[in-house]
Amino acid sequence: MKFAIAVFSPAHAPSSRRALLFAQAALAGGHEIVRLFFYQDGVHSASANVVAPQDELDVAGQWRSFITEHQLDAVVCIAAALRRGVLNAEEAQRYQRPAVNLPAPWELSGLGQLHEGAQSADRLMCFGGD
Amino acid sequence: MSTLHVISHSPFGDNRLSSCLRLLGSDDGLLLCGDAVYALQPGSAPLASLQASNLQGRLFALEEDLNARAISAGETTRAIDYPGFVALSLNYDKVNSWL
Repeated sequence: MKFAIAVFSPAHAPSSRRALLFAQAALAGGHEIVRLFFYQDGVHSASANVVAPQDELDVAGQWRSFITEHQLDAVVCIAAALRRGVLNAEEAQRYQRPAVNLPAPWELSGLGQLHEGAQSADRLMCFGGD
Repeated sequence: MSTLHVISHSPFGDNRLSSCLRLLGSDDGLLLCGDAVYALQPGSAPLASLQASNLQGRLFALEEDLNARAISAGETTRAIDYPGFVALSLNYDKVNSWL
Protein backbone atom coordinates (compact mmCIF):
# COMPACT_ATOMS: atom_id res chain seq x y z
CA MET A 1 0.00 0.00 0.00
CA LYS A 2 1.04 3.63 -0.49
CA PHE A 3 1.51 6.10 2.33
CA ALA A 4 1.89 9.87 2.37
CA ILE A 5 3.28 11.13 5.66
CA ALA A 6 2.98 14.71 6.91
CA VAL A 7 5.10 15.92 9.82
CA PHE A 8 4.00 19.05 11.69
CA SER A 9 6.51 19.04 14.54
CA PRO A 10 10.23 19.80 14.99
CA ALA A 11 12.83 17.06 15.46
CA HIS A 12 12.86 17.44 19.26
CA ALA A 13 9.13 16.65 19.54
CA PRO A 14 8.20 13.01 20.24
CA SER A 15 5.75 13.10 17.32
CA SER A 16 8.57 13.68 14.80
CA ARG A 17 10.22 10.49 16.08
CA ARG A 18 6.88 8.63 15.95
CA ALA A 19 6.51 9.68 12.31
CA LEU A 20 10.02 8.38 11.58
CA LEU A 21 9.38 5.04 13.32
CA PHE A 22 6.07 4.70 11.46
CA ALA A 23 7.81 5.43 8.14
CA GLN A 24 10.55 2.88 8.89
CA ALA A 25 7.95 0.26 9.85
CA ALA A 26 5.95 0.97 6.69
CA LEU A 27 8.97 0.37 4.43
CA ALA A 28 10.02 -2.68 6.45
CA GLY A 29 6.50 -4.06 5.95
CA GLY A 30 6.87 -3.82 2.18
CA HIS A 31 4.79 -0.67 1.74
CA GLU A 32 5.66 2.41 -0.26
CA ILE A 33 6.03 6.02 0.90
CA VAL A 34 5.00 8.24 -2.00
CA ARG A 35 5.85 11.48 -0.20
CA LEU A 36 7.04 12.92 3.08
CA PHE A 37 5.79 16.45 3.65
CA PHE A 38 7.21 18.70 6.37
CA TYR A 39 4.83 21.49 7.30
CA GLN A 40 4.58 24.23 9.97
CA ASP A 41 7.18 23.56 12.73
CA GLY A 42 7.95 20.28 10.95
CA VAL A 43 10.33 22.24 8.72
CA HIS A 44 12.76 22.29 11.70
CA SER A 45 12.97 18.49 11.38
CA ALA A 46 14.67 19.18 8.02
CA SER A 47 17.19 21.76 9.21
CA ALA A 48 20.82 20.71 8.83
CA ASN A 49 21.74 23.03 11.71
CA VAL A 50 19.94 21.08 14.43
CA VAL A 51 22.43 19.93 17.09
CA ALA A 52 20.92 17.29 19.38
CA PRO A 53 22.28 17.04 22.94
CA GLN A 54 24.78 14.20 23.27
CA ASP A 55 22.50 12.10 25.47
CA GLU A 56 19.48 12.45 23.17
CA LEU A 57 18.53 10.95 19.83
CA ASP A 58 19.46 13.00 16.77
CA VAL A 59 16.08 12.69 15.10
CA ALA A 60 16.85 15.34 12.45
CA GLY A 61 19.96 13.36 11.50
CA GLN A 62 17.97 10.12 11.45
CA TRP A 63 15.41 11.67 9.10
CA ARG A 64 18.21 12.79 6.79
CA SER A 65 19.85 9.36 6.65
CA PHE A 66 16.50 7.57 6.29
CA ILE A 67 15.47 9.75 3.35
CA THR A 68 18.87 9.47 1.69
CA GLU A 69 19.10 5.71 2.18
CA HIS A 70 15.67 5.02 0.70
CA GLN A 71 15.74 7.91 -1.81
CA LEU A 72 12.40 9.21 -0.62
CA ASP A 73 10.55 12.22 -1.93
CA ALA A 74 10.90 14.64 1.02
CA VAL A 75 9.23 18.00 0.54
CA VAL A 76 9.53 20.94 2.93
CA CYS A 77 6.80 23.58 2.72
CA ILE A 78 8.48 26.67 1.30
CA ALA A 79 6.28 29.26 3.04
CA ALA A 80 6.61 27.54 6.43
CA ALA A 81 10.37 27.14 5.91
CA LEU A 82 11.12 30.72 4.87
CA ARG A 83 9.36 32.23 7.88
CA ARG A 84 11.32 29.89 10.19
CA GLY A 85 14.69 30.51 8.57
CA VAL A 86 15.06 27.12 6.93
CA LEU A 87 16.59 27.99 3.55
CA ASN A 88 18.21 26.21 0.65
CA ALA A 89 20.97 27.85 -1.37
CA GLU A 90 18.58 29.35 -3.90
CA GLU A 91 16.35 31.00 -1.27
CA ALA A 92 19.31 32.19 0.82
CA GLN A 93 20.62 33.95 -2.27
CA ARG A 94 17.22 35.31 -3.24
CA TYR A 95 16.63 36.89 0.18
CA GLN A 96 20.33 37.63 0.83
CA ARG A 97 20.58 35.58 4.00
CA PRO A 98 23.98 34.49 5.36
CA ALA A 99 23.36 30.75 5.78
CA VAL A 100 21.97 27.68 4.06
CA ASN A 101 20.53 24.90 6.25
CA LEU A 102 18.48 22.87 3.82
CA PRO A 103 20.80 20.85 1.58
CA ALA A 104 19.83 17.65 -0.28
CA PRO A 105 17.92 15.33 0.18
CA TRP A 106 15.24 17.91 1.04
CA GLU A 107 13.26 19.86 -1.49
CA LEU A 108 11.41 23.13 -0.96
CA SER A 109 7.99 23.24 -2.56
CA GLY A 110 4.40 24.30 -1.99
CA LEU A 111 1.40 22.96 -0.09
CA GLY A 112 0.07 21.55 -3.36
CA GLN A 113 2.62 18.76 -2.94
CA LEU A 114 0.85 17.64 0.25
CA HIS A 115 -2.46 17.56 -1.58
CA GLU A 116 -0.99 15.66 -4.50
CA GLY A 117 0.75 13.22 -2.15
CA ALA A 118 -2.51 12.59 -0.28
CA GLN A 119 -4.32 11.96 -3.57
CA SER A 120 -1.78 9.44 -4.83
CA ALA A 121 -1.51 7.56 -1.51
CA ASP A 122 -3.86 5.01 0.05
CA ARG A 123 -3.43 6.67 3.46
CA LEU A 124 -2.33 10.11 4.60
CA MET A 125 -0.70 9.93 8.03
CA CYS A 126 -0.25 13.18 9.97
CA PHE A 127 2.07 13.51 12.94
CA GLY A 128 2.20 16.59 15.12
CA GLY A 129 2.00 17.97 18.62
CA ASP A 130 3.93 16.28 21.43
CA MET B 1 -16.58 4.56 5.96
CA SER B 2 -14.46 3.82 9.01
CA THR B 3 -11.86 6.13 10.52
CA LEU B 4 -8.94 5.49 12.83
CA HIS B 5 -8.62 8.43 15.21
CA VAL B 6 -5.13 9.09 16.54
CA ILE B 7 -4.67 11.21 19.67
CA SER B 8 -1.28 12.13 21.11
CA HIS B 9 -2.13 14.87 23.63
CA SER B 10 -2.73 14.27 27.33
CA PRO B 11 -6.45 14.10 28.21
CA PHE B 12 -5.65 16.19 31.31
CA GLY B 13 -4.60 19.22 29.25
CA ASP B 14 -7.34 19.72 26.68
CA ASN B 15 -10.66 18.38 25.34
CA ARG B 16 -9.43 16.40 22.33
CA LEU B 17 -10.30 13.00 23.82
CA SER B 18 -13.82 13.97 24.90
CA SER B 19 -14.47 15.69 21.55
CA CYS B 20 -13.20 12.60 19.75
CA LEU B 21 -15.37 10.24 21.81
CA ARG B 22 -18.40 12.40 21.02
CA LEU B 23 -17.69 12.13 17.28
CA LEU B 24 -16.52 8.51 17.17
CA GLY B 25 -18.60 6.39 14.80
CA SER B 26 -19.56 2.83 15.65
CA ASP B 27 -17.00 1.41 13.17
CA ASP B 28 -14.25 3.86 14.11
CA GLY B 29 -11.12 2.99 16.07
CA LEU B 30 -9.10 5.02 18.55
CA LEU B 31 -5.33 4.89 18.94
CA LEU B 32 -3.68 6.56 21.93
CA CYS B 33 -0.04 7.50 21.59
CA GLY B 34 2.38 9.82 23.36
CA ASP B 35 0.90 11.55 26.41
CA ALA B 36 -2.60 10.44 25.35
CA VAL B 37 -1.89 7.04 26.94
CA TYR B 38 -2.35 8.80 30.31
CA ALA B 39 -6.06 8.37 29.56
CA LEU B 40 -5.57 4.74 30.66
CA GLN B 41 -4.44 5.71 34.15
CA PRO B 42 -6.44 3.59 36.61
CA GLY B 43 -9.18 5.42 38.48
CA SER B 44 -9.02 8.50 36.25
CA ALA B 45 -11.97 10.33 34.67
CA PRO B 46 -10.61 9.83 31.10
CA LEU B 47 -10.43 6.05 31.67
CA ALA B 48 -14.02 6.07 32.94
CA SER B 49 -15.17 7.88 29.80
CA LEU B 50 -13.27 5.39 27.60
CA GLN B 51 -14.86 2.48 29.45
CA ALA B 52 -18.28 4.05 29.03
CA SER B 53 -17.81 4.41 25.27
CA ASN B 54 -18.17 0.76 24.28
CA LEU B 55 -14.78 0.51 22.55
CA GLN B 56 -14.20 -3.25 22.81
CA GLY B 57 -11.87 -4.35 20.03
CA ARG B 58 -11.27 -0.85 18.70
CA LEU B 59 -9.23 0.87 21.40
CA PHE B 60 -5.45 0.74 20.87
CA ALA B 61 -2.35 2.24 22.46
CA LEU B 62 1.27 2.39 21.33
CA GLU B 63 3.17 -0.11 23.47
CA GLU B 64 6.35 1.97 23.58
CA ASP B 65 4.50 5.00 24.94
CA LEU B 66 2.72 2.84 27.54
CA ASN B 67 6.04 1.37 28.69
CA ALA B 68 7.73 4.78 28.84
CA ARG B 69 5.02 5.95 31.25
CA ALA B 70 4.63 2.70 33.23
CA ILE B 71 0.97 2.41 32.25
CA SER B 72 -0.57 -0.97 31.49
CA ALA B 73 -3.01 -1.43 28.65
CA GLY B 74 -5.69 -3.11 30.74
CA GLU B 75 -8.41 -5.37 29.40
CA THR B 76 -10.15 -3.00 27.02
CA THR B 77 -7.03 -1.75 25.22
CA ARG B 78 -4.77 -3.55 22.77
CA ALA B 79 -1.11 -2.52 22.92
CA ILE B 80 0.52 -2.32 19.48
CA ASP B 81 4.05 -1.77 18.16
CA TYR B 82 4.97 0.23 15.04
CA PRO B 83 4.39 -2.61 12.53
CA GLY B 84 1.01 -3.01 14.28
CA PHE B 85 0.39 0.74 13.86
CA VAL B 86 1.05 0.46 10.10
CA ALA B 87 -1.30 -2.53 9.83
CA LEU B 88 -3.95 -0.78 11.93
CA SER B 89 -3.93 2.30 9.66
CA LEU B 90 -4.75 0.01 6.73
CA ASN B 91 -7.64 -1.64 8.59
CA TYR B 92 -9.57 1.64 8.45
CA ASP B 93 -10.60 3.67 5.40
CA LYS B 94 -9.09 6.90 6.74
CA VAL B 95 -6.77 8.01 9.50
CA ASN B 96 -7.53 11.24 11.37
CA SER B 97 -4.84 12.65 13.63
CA TRP B 98 -6.03 15.07 16.31
CA LEU B 99 -3.01 17.35 15.86
